Amino acid sequence: MSDLPEFRNEPILELRRAPVREGLADALSSLEAKLPLEVPVLIGSDARPGQDLISTDPGAPERTVARCAAASSEEVDRAVAVAGDAFAGWSGRPAAERAQALVSAAAWMRQRRIELAALAVRECAKPWPEADADVCEAIDFLEYYAQQAIDLERPRPLMQVAGERNEMRYVGRGVAAVISPWNFPLAIACGMTAGALAAGNAVVFKPAEQSPGCGLAVVRALLAGGVPPAVLSLLPGEGEVGAALVRHPDVHTIAFTGSQAVGLEIVRAAAEMAPGQKHIKRVIAELGGKNCVIVAADADLDEAVPAIIYSAFAYAGQKCSAAARVLAAREIIEPLTERLAGAARVLVVGQADSLDTQVPPLIEADAQARLRSCGEQAEEQGRVVVGGGSVPDSGWFAPPVVVADLPGDSGLLHNEIFGPLLSVEAVRDVEEACERVEELPFALTGGLFSRDPGTVRYVRSRTPVGNLYVNRGITGAIVGRHPFGGNRLSGTGSKAGGPDYLLQFSEPRAVSENTMRHGLAV
Amino acid sequence: MIRGVGVGILLAIYGRGVVDLESDIQRIGRELATAFPSAARHPLRSMDARALDLASSDAELKAALFRFVDVAPACRSMDDLARHLTNFLEEVDERPMPIAAAMRIAETRPGRAALGTAAARGVRHMAHRFIVGESLPDAGPTLGRLWDHGVASSVDLLGEATVTPEEADAYAARCADTLRGLTHLTARWPDRPVLEQDSLGRLPRANVSVKVSALTPLLRPDAPELGREDAGRRLRPLLALGRELGAHVHIDMESLDSREAVLGLVLELLSDPEFADGPSSGLVIQAYLRDSGDLLDAVLEFARSGSRRPPLQIRLVKGAYWDHELVEARQHGWEAPVFEAKAESDRNFEALTRRLLDARPDIRVAVASHNLRSVAHAIAYNRAIGGADADLEIQVLRGLGDELADAAASLGLRVRAYCPIGNLVAGMAYLVRRLLENTSNDSFLHAQARGTALDQLLAAP
Repeated sequence: MSDLPEFRNEPILELRRAPVREGLADALSSLEAKLPLEVPVLIGSDARPGQDLISTDPGAPERTVARCAAASSEEVDRAVAVAGDAFAGWSGRPAAERAQALVSAAAWMRQRRIELAALAVRECAKPWPEADADVCEAIDFLEYYAQQAIDLERPRPLMQVAGERNEMRYVGRGVAAVISPWNFPLAIACGMTAGALAAGNAVVFKPAEQSPGCGLAVVRALLAGGVPPAVLSLLPGEGEVGAALVRHPDVHTIAFTGSQAVGLEIVRAAAEMAPGQKHIKRVIAELGGKNCVIVAADADLDEAVPAIIYSAFAYAGQKCSAAARVLAAREIIEPLTERLAGAARVLVVGQADSLDTQVPPLIEADAQARLRSCGEQAEEQGRVVVGGGSVPDSGWFAPPVVVADLPGDSGLLHNEIFGPLLSVEAVRDVEEACERVEELPFALTGGLFSRDPGTVRYVRSRTPVGNLYVNRGITGAIVGRHPFGGNRLSGTGSKAGGPDYLLQFSEPRAVSENTMRHGLAV
Repeated sequence: MIRGVGVGILLAIYGRGVVDLESDIQRIGRELATAFPSAARHPLRSMDARALDLASSDAELKAALFRFVDVAPACRSMDDLARHLTNFLEEVDERPMPIAAAMRIAETRPGRAALGTAAARGVRHMAHRFIVGESLPDAGPTLGRLWDHGVASSVDLLGEATVTPEEADAYAARCADTLRGLTHLTARWPDRPVLEQDSLGRLPRANVSVKVSALTPLLRPDAPELGREDAGRRLRPLLALGRELGAHVHIDMESLDSREAVLGLVLELLSDPEFADGPSSGLVIQAYLRDSGDLLDAVLEFARSGSRRPPLQIRLVKGAYWDHELVEARQHGWEAPVFEAKAESDRNFEALTRRLLDARPDIRVAVASHNLRSVAHAIAYNRAIGGADADLEIQVLRGLGDELADAAASLGLRVRAYCPIGNLVAGMAYLVRRLLENTSNDSFLHAQARGTALDQLLAAP
C-alpha cells in the first residue's frame, strides 16, 4: 500500500462559474434542516450527550448551530487512559494502514464537501470561498500526511560498517492532545489530528468552544475512514478541558494553534513535571502574528493593493497570517494609501452566506468589543483614513479600518488585533522596513512587493518570518506548497503541510546490532 | 447581404466546396503575403525584430528582459533603472555577448547612467510601437495617418488597474472624453467608403473599446453581480453618449474571471429599449476558450431575439490571456478553460469564423488575427458563401499587425487597428502581453519573422 496516488491539492470550487455557485444554497438549506447539531463527548465507543454549551451563528447570534457536552475532568482522565491503552496497537500498525484510514477520511469529506463548508459558514461565519478552502485544506492534510507517514516509515540511510547493522526509525510518541482554534475550524483541527495519527499517536481532541460542530465533523470523518474509536476521543469544552489535558501526566505531545497568551501558558505548564509523568512533554504551537507587508518603491501597486486588501480584510482579518501593517517606501506611500483607502471603503461587509461578502462578522461579542476599542485607539493615536463604515445591526460585525501615522509605540503596531484593522507606515527604504520587522517579537508571515531581484534577495536573507510571500497576498498557505508556521513567539517552528511536520509527533529510535559471531561477520 | 447559413451547410456537405475553399484560402493568403510591405520600408522594425529574436532565443533571458520592461516606468533614476536591469540579467546563466557587455558597463556609476538611458530609450521605443500616444490629441495624427492609409481604428484607453470607485469614475470620464474627442477629430477626415459603409449601412468613424474591469473596483469572479451592477452604472451613460454621437462602443473581453459579468452586463444594457436604435456596439468572442462555441450560441440567440439596430458587431479573437488562464487553472487544480495546443485554437477560430459569417445580417463580423491563414480563411469563406468583402472587417493590433493591415487595405478590404492610448506606466501590462505574444515560440508572427515558408504558414491548422 505504499503506492498511494501522487499527492495533489484538492481543487477549490470554481466559483466563477454560475452552476457551481448555484449549488451552494441547497447545501446550506440541507444543513439548516439538521441544526442544531448535537456534539457529545466521545471516548472510545462511548458517546455522552450533553447541552452544556452552544455555538451560534456569529452573523445571527440567536441561531444555535450546535449544542454540545462539556467534558468533565473525569472524562479528560478517562479519554487519556483509553488513548494510552490504544496507542501501542495503533502505533504498531504498518504506516500504510494508518495512511489508508486518513485517505478514506479524506474521501468521506470530499463526498460532503459543500455541506461541510456550509457548516463553517454557519458556525464560524466563514464566507463561502474561505469555507470551501477550509474543507479542501482539511482534505489535503489527510492525504498529504498519509503519504508522509509511509515515507517516514522507510529506514533512514545511516553509515554501515562491517560487523554491525545500524538502523533508525521513527515511531509515535504516545498520547497527543490536540487543541484547535475556530478560525480554520475544519482544516487546522483536521491537520493537527491527522498529523498526530499519521505518525502513530493516539489523539485526544479538544475543538474550540466556538466551533464544536466542525470539530465533530472532523472526528466523524476520521472514524468513518477507519481510525479506531479508542485512538481518537473528542472532548468538547472550554479552556479548562484544554488546561487539564496539558497538565495530564500521560499526555506526551500537545499540538496547539491559538493565541500567544494561551500558547505561552501551555509551554509553561507543559514544562512542569506532574506526579507519575515519565517523559518530557513536547509542545507544538502555532501562535499569532503581527504580519508586515513591505512595499518597495518599485512595487506594482496594481497588484499590491488588491493583495494587501485581501490579506488584511478577508474573513475580517481573523487569520493568524493576516496582514496587519504595511511598511511602504515613502516615494509611493501617498498613492498607495489613497488606493488602499479607496479599495477598503468599498469592501462588502455582510453575512457569510452571501457570495458578495468580503468582510463577515467577527466570531463573538468579545471580539467585536475589542475591535471597537482598537478603532477608538486608532482615532486617538493616528490618522484614520477608513473607518466607521456602517455594518449590519445584528451579528458581531466590525467595520474595516485603515489607519496611518500611528506613533511608533502604539499598541496597535505591536499587538495582534485579529480583526479588520490595517495600519500604513512610511519607511525610508526596504532596509528600514526590515528593521521594523526585526523589532517585533512575532515572526509568522510577511510580504514583500518589489520588482528588483536584489531587493527580494535582501529581504529573503534578513527576514525572521516563517512564511515570506513575494509579490502576492500573505494568507492562504497551501499544503505541500507553502509549509506553514512561524518563528519567534509566533510558534515552535513546526511547519504544517510541510515535509517534516510528522517529525514533531515522532520519536526517533536507533538500533545498532553486532553481527560478528565467533569472529565471523554474519 | 445574403443569408449565408444555407450556403455554408451546402459547402460543408459537398466535398468539392471544401476543396475549393482550401485552394481559395491558399490563393488569398498568397495575395496578402505579396502585398506585405517590404522590410526595407520599416528599418526600425527589423531592429526590433532582432532585439525580440535575441530575447526569445533563451527563456531566462526573455524572462529577465520582460520583467525589466515591466518595471522600467517605476524606476526613479537612470541608476535605478540600470540596477534593475543588471539584477535581472544576473539571473540569466548564459548571457549573449551584448548582454555581457552591458553588465560590464554597469559596474561604474557613469556606466549605469549610460546603460539606464539606453535601456529607457529602448523601452520607450518599444512602447511607442504598440501605444499610439499618451493622450488623444497626442495620438490624433497617427490615427489620421492610419485612416489615410485605409485603416480605421478602435481606441483603447490604457490605465492602471481599477481598485477604487474614484479610479472607475476617472476611467469612465476618459472614455466619455475620448468618444467626444474622436467624434470631433474624425469629422475632419476625408471620406473612405470602404471603411465607413457595409451593406447594412453606415459604420461609425469614432470607435472606442471599453474594459468593464476598469469601470468598477468590485469585479470579482465569485460574485459577478456586484461588479456588473457597479460597472453598469458607468457603462450606461457611455452607451447613451455613443448613441448621441453616433460612435461605436465596443466592450472588450478580458480573462475568464470577468466573462460572466461582462457578457451579462452588455446583453442586459443593450436589451434596454433606450438602446434599441443605437449605439453601434460590440462584443468579443475568444476562440482559445473551449466553451467559446456555447458563448457564441448565447450571443447569437440574443442577436436574433431582438430588433436592435444596428446589429451587434462580434469581434473574433484568439484571446490574450492564455498564460494567465492556464496558470490560474493549474494553480487551482481546474481543467484548463483554454485549448492548450495552438492548432486547436486555430481550428476553433476557423470554425467560429464560419459560424459568425453565416449568422449575418443578425450580427456584424470582425475577424481579429495576425495569422495570415486565419485571415485568408475568413476572406475566402466569406466570398465562398456569396458575402461581400464590405461585410467582413479585419482587425489587427497596432504594432503587431501593421504589415497585415497595410496588405489587407491595399487589397481593398476593410481593416481596423486596435490602438491603445495611455502613458507608459499604465501601458506596461499591455506592452508585456504584446511582447509575449510576439516572442512566443508558438506565435504566427514569430514563425513569420523567422522566415517560415509561406506554404507552412498557410497550412490548415
